[in-house]
Amino acid sequence: MSEQQKAQKVEGEGQATSGRRRGGLVLSFAVILALLGLLAWGLIKVQAGPLDDGLAPDFTITGFDSRTVNLSQLRGQVMIINFWASWCPPCREEAAYLEETWRKYQGQEVVFIGVDWVDTEKEALAYIKEFDITYINGPDIGTRIAQAYNIQGVPETFFVARNGELRGVQIGPLKAPQLDEKIDELLGEAYP
Amino acid sequence: MIVEIGLIALSIAFLFSLYAALASAYGGWHGQAAWVESARNASLLVFPLLTISVLVVVYALYKMDFSLAYVYDVSSQAMSPFLRVTALWGGQQGSVLFWAWLMAGFIAVVLIRKWERDLELMPYMIATAMLTTTFFVGVVVFITNPFVRLWHFEGAFELTQALFQPAGAMPFTPADGNGLNPLLRHFGMIGHPPTTYIGFTGFVIPFSFAIAALITGKSRGDEWIRTTRRWTLVAWIFLSIGLILGGRWAYDVLGWGGFWGWDPVENAMLMPWLTGTAFLHSAMMTEKRGMLKKWNMILIVLTYSLSLFGTFITRTGVISSVHAFSKSALGPAFFGFIGLTFLGSVTLLYLRWDTLKSEHSLESFLSRESAFVLQNMLFLAITFVVFWGTIFPLISELVTGTKITVGPPYFQRATGPLFFALVLLMGIAPLFAWRKQALGAFGKAIWIPVAGSLIISTVWGYMHRMHPASIFGLWLVSFALAAILAEFWKGVQARRSTRGENPLSARINLIGRNHRRYGGYIIHLGVVLIALGFIGDSYYKQETQGTVSSGESLSIGRYQMRFDQLRFYPGSDGREVTEAVMTLYENGERIRPLNPRRDYFIVQEQPVSIPGVYSTPGKDVYVLLIGWDASGESASFKIYVNSFINWVWIGGLMMILGTIIAAWRDPGQLETSYVIRPELQTSFPLIREG
Repeated sequence: MSEQQKAQKVEGEGQATSGRRRGGLVLSFAVILALLGLLAWGLIKVQAGPLDDGLAPDFTITGFDSRTVNLSQLRGQVMIINFWASWCPPCREEAAYLEETWRKYQGQEVVFIGVDWVDTEKEALAYIKEFDITYINGPDIGTRIAQAYNIQGVPETFFVARNGELRGVQIGPLKAPQLDEKIDELLGEAYP
Repeated sequence: MIVEIGLIALSIAFLFSLYAALASAYGGWHGQAAWVESARNASLLVFPLLTISVLVVVYALYKMDFSLAYVYDVSSQAMSPFLRVTALWGGQQGSVLFWAWLMAGFIAVVLIRKWERDLELMPYMIATAMLTTTFFVGVVVFITNPFVRLWHFEGAFELTQALFQPAGAMPFTPADGNGLNPLLRHFGMIGHPPTTYIGFTGFVIPFSFAIAALITGKSRGDEWIRTTRRWTLVAWIFLSIGLILGGRWAYDVLGWGGFWGWDPVENAMLMPWLTGTAFLHSAMMTEKRGMLKKWNMILIVLTYSLSLFGTFITRTGVISSVHAFSKSALGPAFFGFIGLTFLGSVTLLYLRWDTLKSEHSLESFLSRESAFVLQNMLFLAITFVVFWGTIFPLISELVTGTKITVGPPYFQRATGPLFFALVLLMGIAPLFAWRKQALGAFGKAIWIPVAGSLIISTVWGYMHRMHPASIFGLWLVSFALAAILAEFWKGVQARRSTRGENPLSARINLIGRNHRRYGGYIIHLGVVLIALGFIGDSYYKQETQGTVSSGESLSIGRYQMRFDQLRFYPGSDGREVTEAVMTLYENGERIRPLNPRRDYFIVQEQPVSIPGVYSTPGKDVYVLLIGWDASGESASFKIYVNSFINWVWIGGLMMILGTIIAAWRDPGQLETSYVIRPELQTSFPLIREG
């Protein structure tokens, strides 16, 4: 191999390396930008926060006991929509209070709906049994309801007025007498 | 008045950090020493200024100045003075300030100790570190300011938060505060945040040196690694302690009977620990053989980026988790900072890739070098698996519209084999020689640990016939243990035969003369013990649950628990205690009373379960009181028997001990590797000795 050929070969290798390097850079940038894009998207969703006004998104839920309810058919009643999961310790804190309040207001044009989020049925049923929960509770299949309400985690509780409009959301466990007060306030609203 | 002093000190600290970052970059770029020196002085002042701010917050917490929104949020009259002071890191505002303060402290120590030695790297080291500090102090000033006060508008139902008096508002001081979340009132949660923060902020030092090395082109050499080795060790061990304290807290307080749940927030902390551990190892390769320089750079950039990423997902709630989050403007600011750090570091790496060429290439697959490369790959693979699982809910929601959360089974199955391989490597690698290991000698060195561990694990496995994987796990753990102990034994034998020392002094001198090597082995022993704890948690855990009336018993394995009665009494820090009195029996023989409790914090309206635990080296019997009927006649309990769990904590202590030994300077080594070479002193025109 002549000197010239050697030089060309070295140069060629140099080009190949720098080509590879540029490829590596483009790839790392692409990966980082994709990750940043993903984080940005997540951040925008979190910053938007859960829905807390406007008409409550409609949904149909089938309970673990096979009862089915549809939100729009319950218009005229005050609705308490509670998102929970059996693996969530803070949910346990409010479970007894929720059930107690439900029993207190049952039959007074108030509906409680428990939406079980990202959970397994066996554990969820054990949870319902443990707290002796009697209002309807069903799984959020495909997390569709959670996404419609843009929940940030569990527990979260949405308050719906008789006209079907959202009247606020509680992030984190409910504490007595917060729920009673909210229900009394919503029951007090004029509804044709 | 005092509060104003804190606020002013904080604001000046922000200006000084910003100035230091800009001045040092300018001075470095234009070769003007005066600017760099001025930047150093400004940097040194940031720490005392932030110290004043921190002290003011601590004082306000101690004095219960509820006119401050932060004090109102995290402290209350029912809390002891000690708890009130630790509330400094009990909430967002305090923790970010605390974080910035720690970071400034680290930087100040570096600037005092390393100034003369690493003059060339200093301008950009200061610029990088102070830019980071500026960001955090800026967040404290503009977004999560702990000096924000409460104000009241006449007729308004809610209080307004503002730094200065809004027009028409009256200052408002509530009579009592909300108080720290009761779940956080535990020694693990008091120690976990500071240690974690020290770990996270500590990595800013090696990262800044690495960036400075890349900018100046000094990445060719390994000065930056030698300079930062101890800093990395300090950051790493604090991160380790933080992980262990977090686990201990979860075990004592969260009441699911475990210590590690693969929650996104736990993963956020594990990932930088994994890459940091890989970095500590590959840095050794660079020092000894001038190899793996690219790995080092990538690993330190990854470690630092992952700690930022971890902080981001923890503090913003981008990835939902059991942990509670609050909404704030922190997210966008943090996002911008992370983007800048990621892209900046990768660009620099690209530009300086040529300086990171290895001085040697791998000579044999059976060598210490290849073992190091393999362990780097394993650590990175585990990091990737954890990372993927952590962000998967976000990806799945983006792609399919459904949020799919991967639970502990994914992490266990995907990381289990990789961790097994790491433990195996930990046993084998110390037997490999540098460059090339002769197969025969290796066989000779390894057969005793292999045979010994096979015997131990067979007997052990026979005694606890359970999961086949558990027997394999036990073999691995005993093999690694035997291999490490064999290294100690060999060292002691060598000293005894060459120097005629007695066994005890040989053992002490062995460690004394070679801190890094034997300190490292002691850390490895700790890791093996922790692995044993994980094997116990995965394969030997037993649990049961039941409701019993007074006088009745629940049983699990060899243990029986008799429920005697319930007691109700008021406790400290504003809580009502419900305590079950139980008696624990083993095979019918009385062992001791157990008292699982449920404490109800009145102000926060929050219950906290405190398990009754009977702890032995082999296993814990862990009893939770989960409910009772109004009369107190019957109660429900959940009981776990957790095997080997205590070895996690013991292993953690050994890791700390090993790190202290490894970080200790070897006698005779004194400073030698740190003195600047003469040619470097002259090649650096920046700062002339005055």
